[in-house]
Formats: sequence, C-alpha cells, structure tokens
Amino acid sequence: VTCREAIEVLADFLESTLPPDAVGRLQAHLAGCQPCQAYLNTYRRTRDVAGAVDRVEMPEEMRARLRGFLLERLRDTA
Amino acid sequence: MDDEAALLRRLGAGDARALEDVMARHATRVYRLARGVTRNEADAEEVVQDVFLTIARKHETFEGRAALSSWIYRITMNAALNKRRGLRAEVETPLDDLLPAFEPDGHRAGDRSLVLADWSGTPERVLLSAESRAAVRAALDRLPAHYRAVVVLRDVEGLTNEEAAESLGETVAVVKSRLHRARMALREQLTHHYASRA
Repeated sequence: VTCREAIEVLADFLESTLPPDAVGRLQAHLAGCQPCQAYLNTYRRTRDVAGAVDRVEMPEEMRARLRGFLLERLRDTA
Repeated sequence: MDDEAALLRRLGAGDARALEDVMARHATRVYRLARGVTRNEADAEEVVQDVFLTIARKHETFEGRAALSSWIYRITMNAALNKRRGLRAEVETPLDDLLPAFEPDGHRAGDRSLVLADWSGTPERVLLSAESRAAVRAALDRLPAHYRAVVVLRDVEGLTNEEAAESLGETVAVVKSRLHRARMALREQLTHHYASRA
C-alpha cells in the first residue's frame, strides 16, 4: 500500500465500511508511516471541525421574518 | 408519508399551524444548506423564503416516494445554486489545486514539515476559536458549491451517503468521491493555516 492508496480509503476506513483485508493492509501501512498517521489524524479532525463550524441555528430574527413573510404570501394566494 | 402530504396541503392552504410545523421540522436544515452553498447570510435568507414558498405552492408535486426532507433539500439545492450562479469565480478555487500532491512512487510530495504536520492535538477551544472558525469558513468558501453541499449534508447534518445522494439527486459514488475530495482540500488548507501558527 502506498501513501496515495492509503489516503484514498480513509473515508471508508473512518466509516468502518472498508473490507477487513483492506483494513489490515491500511493498518500495516499506518504502523510504519508517520506522514500517513498525521494525515489520518488531521483528516478526522478536519471532518469534525468543519461539521462543528457550520452547525449553526437559523437566527431568531430571520425565523420571525420568514414566518411573517410566508403567512402574508400564503394568505394572499390561499 | 400521508401525514407529510396532509401537512403540505394545509400549508398550501395558508394554515399557520402547518407553517409552524414545517418550519420547526425543516427551517434550520434548509438554512444550513442554503448558507453552506451561498456562503452569504442575505442570499441564504432569500433562498429559505423561496424554498418555503415553493414547498407551499408546489406541494402536489411531492410524490411521497422519497422522504419529505430529501425533496426539500433538492428544492433548496436548486434555489441556492441559482442564487450562486455568476458568483462562482469570485472565491472558489479549482479543487485539484487544493488536493495533496504525490510523487510518482505514491509518497506525498511537498514541504516535509507540512507532510508531517499533525495539528490534531490542538485543543478544542483553539480549533473552535473565532480565528480558527474564520479559517475553516475561508477554506469552505474556496470549495466548489457542489462539494460544500456534500460537506453540509454529511458532516454538518449527519446524513448517510445514501440520504445525501437522494437529497442531491446524485449517485452514492459521486457523494462519496466529493466528500473525500472536499475533506482532503479542507485538510490541506487547515494544515497550512495551523502549521504557519505553530
């Protein structure tokens, strides 16, 4: 397994959808490859951070404006 | 499904309670996807308005074969991409320019300190600081819109690959490929960001 091949399967590895033999080959590669260990660690952290940063609630003022806008439009057309 | 179809009919008739129900179930998710694709608060608000009007006015076109949330996500994606049209060249970078480079033998290419950089132990308070959030958002801005949409549905909303594919009208293989490439492009940018601060 090369570094390129190891990186290609990281998403499946993190989702536990990689076949067991492929997991074994990846883990053997990771055990001897510091750059790929760093890559896996930072890839996982990237997924978590990107998810957390964009997990925003709709602002209350926007929700109120949306409610008012829709009620007005829907009653006009109903 | 019957429950959802009935809810949409009541919404189309201007029922305020139905509007509250639909908003409670879907407004935040629509907003996140709209904001994720447009990267702009004002555009996202217009998209959200368009989406809910479309849901109310075209509720008969919801066939009930897919989940209501998938139908709504598809409407959102179309509206957000329309809003985004013409702005694409502003910030977005071709994805290949953001992906890791490799030597012919399969080893990573580039600056050794970046190849070995492991910022994953950075404390949560630093990773989620205002400065770090700005860096993550700037990195997301540079992704093509279709890739950002997959990141929102998978890594923000926690949908499965199958649910994201149904919501975007794409195959599971396309969703998986875009997600992996998007994460790699984000990781590359964040590694440059954190390495320059180490």
